[in-house]
Amino acid sequence: MMVAQEVLALSRRWLLVALRERLSLLFSVLQPAVWLVFFAGALGGAVDPRVVGTGDYIAFAVPGVIAFTVVGNGVTAAMPLLFDKETGYLDKLLSMPIRRSSLILSRFLFQTGMNAAQTLVILLVALALGVRPESGPLGVPAILAVTALLTLALTSAAMALACAVPSHGTFFAITGFVSLPLLFMSNAFVPLSAMPAWMEAVARVNPLTYAIEAIRLLVLRGWSGDVPLSLAALVVACVLLLAVGAWQFARQTSERIA
Amino acid sequence: MRSIIETEGLCRAFGDHHAVDGLSLAVAPGEIFGLLGPNGAGKTTTIRMLSTLLPPSAGAALVCGFDVVTEAEAVRRRIGYVMQQVSPMGHYLLTGREKTEIEASLYHVPRRQVKARAREVLELVGLSDSADRLVAGYSGGMQKRLDLACGLLHRPDLLILDEPTLGLDVQSRHHMWEHIRSLCDEGMSVLLATNYMDEADRLCDRLAIIDRGRQVAGGTPAELKAAIGAPSLDEVFLRHTGHALREEVA
Repeated sequence: MMVAQEVLALSRRWLLVALRERLSLLFSVLQPAVWLVFFAGALGGAVDPRVVGTGDYIAFAVPGVIAFTVVGNGVTAAMPLLFDKETGYLDKLLSMPIRRSSLILSRFLFQTGMNAAQTLVILLVALALGVRPESGPLGVPAILAVTALLTLALTSAAMALACAVPSHGTFFAITGFVSLPLLFMSNAFVPLSAMPAWMEAVARVNPLTYAIEAIRLLVLRGWSGDVPLSLAALVVACVLLLAVGAWQFARQTSERIA
Repeated sequence: MRSIIETEGLCRAFGDHHAVDGLSLAVAPGEIFGLLGPNGAGKTTTIRMLSTLLPPSAGAALVCGFDVVTEAEAVRRRIGYVMQQVSPMGHYLLTGREKTEIEASLYHVPRRQVKARAREVLELVGLSDSADRLVAGYSGGMQKRLDLACGLLHRPDLLILDEPTLGLDVQSRHHMWEHIRSLCDEGMSVLLATNYMDEADRLCDRLAIIDRGRQVAGGTPAELKAAIGAPSLDEVFLRHTGHALREEVA
């Protein structure tokens, strides 16, 4: 009951701020469409269908675009924590009788909602470009569920980083540097089988790969038996990153040096 | 409850640096108690321990009768902490009313009373007319008053104020003093950390001057002045803490 009140109040803060930054909201919703239309649309002509396993490269790229959107939003997700820590408002929050976990939980819920909305926009744009997911209408909630898991994993990682860095400069330097390799060293735009062996090895420990694989199967193959396998790997990544996030957050909130 | 704040040999070390070094304070309910000291004397560290933000490395502190470490939750429900820093970042896109309502919910004010309580505290600090403007447009004084309002939402027994008038103009300072005084008249206890001796002289019933983490003087402003025959608290302060400049170690 009290947890619900805390989480709702904090979510209201995130939502009000997001809605007031209208341009930022608009561009972040439109961004993935740019990737689909201009990147996948152009690259599709240069891609060998035998390598990617489909003649429809846009359909192949949809999961990668969704995953990259979640990566970008993961960075945004940690920003309130980063700035509350820097401005000292985190201290004010921690002096209140609230559960520490509410601060994190509210952000997860908010971010999951935002990412779900964006994923729907991506799927609509893909639909307009002729992509018809093999898993049918019921595939949409399944894709949203995979997105939610990936959101949990990446938001945890970003929040852990926000706790660990000395200031926001380091945070943005690291996230700015890591985002693209994280994307390229996954199966976002190239299947694992087409990668050099060392890159494939890296991609296999990249949580993005499993989220992308699950969504790709749902889009290209329908309800394949390999979907639960990818989901299981994604859940393991979630648990690990959540543990790191919780550890860093506890470190941040218990013993702070003034 | 005999004291609203009671500390016994309170210590906090950061590595080799003893920020607070055996502080024993007793603040009676209903009083405005001043915590004075040069920069780096340990004021903020003390306040952070009393607000349950930092565990003491030795000694104990009871706030509102509860231990700040083992009963932190009970302490948090009874204190209103108003931070030194005005930090509109993260709120500059919220209105004063929205920020206040959100914090009321975080203090578990019953859902049906949230709006009324927010209105009440905004009225109290004179922000009713600006309540629906974005915090981004607030002056420094208005932000301080908003922070004060947010510290009152759950009707705390103890208000902890860290430099409540830092950087304010004369009018705003006098307004802030009136607010603090009237809260105290209604029975609230106040712990006030300040660098302004005139503020301490005017507001505080009793005060402690601390330096290098230890108390070097304590009593009512009148007692402290009389003891060394000084006309103002500034002389008292300098007599006890010396003239040397301090490094900020906060």
